[in-house]
Amino acid sequence: MPGATTDVVLRTVGLSKRYGRLLALSDLNLEVRRGQVYGFLGPNGAGKTTTIALTLGLIAPSRGHVEMFGLDTRAHLAEALRRAGAVLESPSFYPLLSGRDNLRVWAALSGGVSEKRLDEVIDLVGLQARGRDKVRTYSLGMKQRLGLAAALMHDPELLVLDEPTNGLDPAGMREFRQLIRGLGQMGKTVFVSSHLLGEVEQMCDHVGIVKQGSLLTQGSVEMMLRRSEALEMRVTDPDVAVQVLAALDWVRGVKREGDCLTVEAPRERAAELSRALAEHQIYLFELRPRDSSLEEFFLEVTGDNVANR
Amino acid sequence: MTTWPTASVLGAELLKVRKRWMPYVLFLVMLVGAAIQIWLAGYASWQGDDPEFQINALRTFTLPWSLAPLLDSGQFWGAILVGILAASTVATEHTWGTVRQALIRGQPRSQYLTAKLLGIIVIAAVSLLLALGVGVAFSVAATAAANLPITLDIPTGDGPSVLGMALMVLRSGYGIVPYGLLAFCLAVVGRSTTLGVAGIIVFMFAESIVLAILGGIGGLAADARAFSIGHNVVALLAVNRIGGFADYNAFAPRDRPPASELPDPGVAALVLALYCLAFLAIAFWVFQRRDVHA
Repeated sequence: MPGATTDVVLRTVGLSKRYGRLLALSDLNLEVRRGQVYGFLGPNGAGKTTTIALTLGLIAPSRGHVEMFGLDTRAHLAEALRRAGAVLESPSFYPLLSGRDNLRVWAALSGGVSEKRLDEVIDLVGLQARGRDKVRTYSLGMKQRLGLAAALMHDPELLVLDEPTNGLDPAGMREFRQLIRGLGQMGKTVFVSSHLLGEVEQMCDHVGIVKQGSLLTQGSVEMMLRRSEALEMRVTDPDVAVQVLAALDWVRGVKREGDCLTVEAPRERAAELSRALAEHQIYLFELRPRDSSLEEFFLEVTGDNVANR
Repeated sequence: MTTWPTASVLGAELLKVRKRWMPYVLFLVMLVGAAIQIWLAGYASWQGDDPEFQINALRTFTLPWSLAPLLDSGQFWGAILVGILAASTVATEHTWGTVRQALIRGQPRSQYLTAKLLGIIVIAAVSLLLALGVGVAFSVAATAAANLPITLDIPTGDGPSVLGMALMVLRSGYGIVPYGLLAFCLAVVGRSTTLGVAGIIVFMFAESIVLAILGGIGGLAADARAFSIGHNVVALLAVNRIGGFADYNAFAPRDRPPASELPDPGVAALVLALYCLAFLAIAFWVFQRRDVHA
């Protein structure tokens, strides 16, 4: 299916990486489609940076492989990377060169970029006033911006970003999110790793969650938010209520904390839920929807909510 | 298979090196070395009373004799300075993390190393030739100061031709290459400027000492010198001796045995080529398979 192959911009197939006894990444199967802004979420040490390093060919997989634009990177890495741009965690530059000269160096490796385009990307990331200063005088936030300029200057189809807002102040983070959303609207594919859930929720339309080197789930943010929907209630007989609710096939789970129940179920079925309880002579003191957020879903999927309680 | 760097890639490589202070310091060291050799070991020594010293000193600062000691010292110290430049140029990319930035832009690893090598070669060649030019200018000035004729002729016959002088420079430059590549290889494998710099300095001085000891022992030990880099470099440099004379004052701390005790220059060139290939193969093989981390 050639159409499907080209629609998938980035795919990892059984990707694994082992460092001695440590299995940093295990059988990872990701799929990022054209035009998606894909958030790659996971706690620190989950394997996000390892995945990105494998994707960009900086490290070799112990097993599995990466496909970019339908090309197997084991044989076509250079060709694939020329169509991609990347910002690594704590991007590195030549400290003795100006920001602009750094971009010129990288531009040469990307097959040449016009001076006009350099001006454009320097303006885009807000470095026009400091472009001629040596990079050693830059703050971390400015280096992140320069890293983004370097990634964007050859107009890549895919942008890979590893914790890109590290070092940015709140205003800078907001600008950055807007920029990424704008790129997504322009049809660019963006793969961004982060441990900042709120940031990903605001930026991305698709998410993959990784923990201890394994992909736990992936899908659209909308779907995940729906899955994290829940109703919180206090009832007359919590013990029986748990049994009644658990028996409903559209209830995904019931948790009890004291006399408060959290029922994982769609909000629009609150009335049905109330009726089911009433049929067993259980009555509500209180019923309210729980805020659904990526954070709730993340904690649920990674199991960290249980551990924290 | 190596993808050769484009002109713009090589231009970017040269831009990076040009903006660093290291090449300029190394060039300055070469100039100071040339000045000391011509004026102190040559001109000033020649003004002494000992006739034997005077001959050595005269062949150190007057043309065309001065070419051989300049190239002799230039090969030894040039090898160390090129080694420092190579190690620093390669390893600081790892220290700064900029190697990752190059590789994620789709630059093949073989091209990355090739561009580095070509950049080092261009900078080193320009610096060494400039330093040699300044050394020759010092020699002309010193010869004039001594009221001696400025000529390329020698009393025993014709002096070196222009082609002959070019070959002298090439032989000396070729003697630098294996040491530069050794430093390059150490820096690539060790990802460390210190390892490359310390490695090349220790190697060159230790090699000189070991070769002197082996020569002193004689027999099989002396024959074993034929497998070393240094002995083969000396064999090449022996061809540079003008009129076959090796009695000059040069700052290369090594023996200058008679040409009859040295390997054939063709064989020496081949041995050095094998060393170069070995160092290149190790560097490229390691870099091609290495995981590049933050």
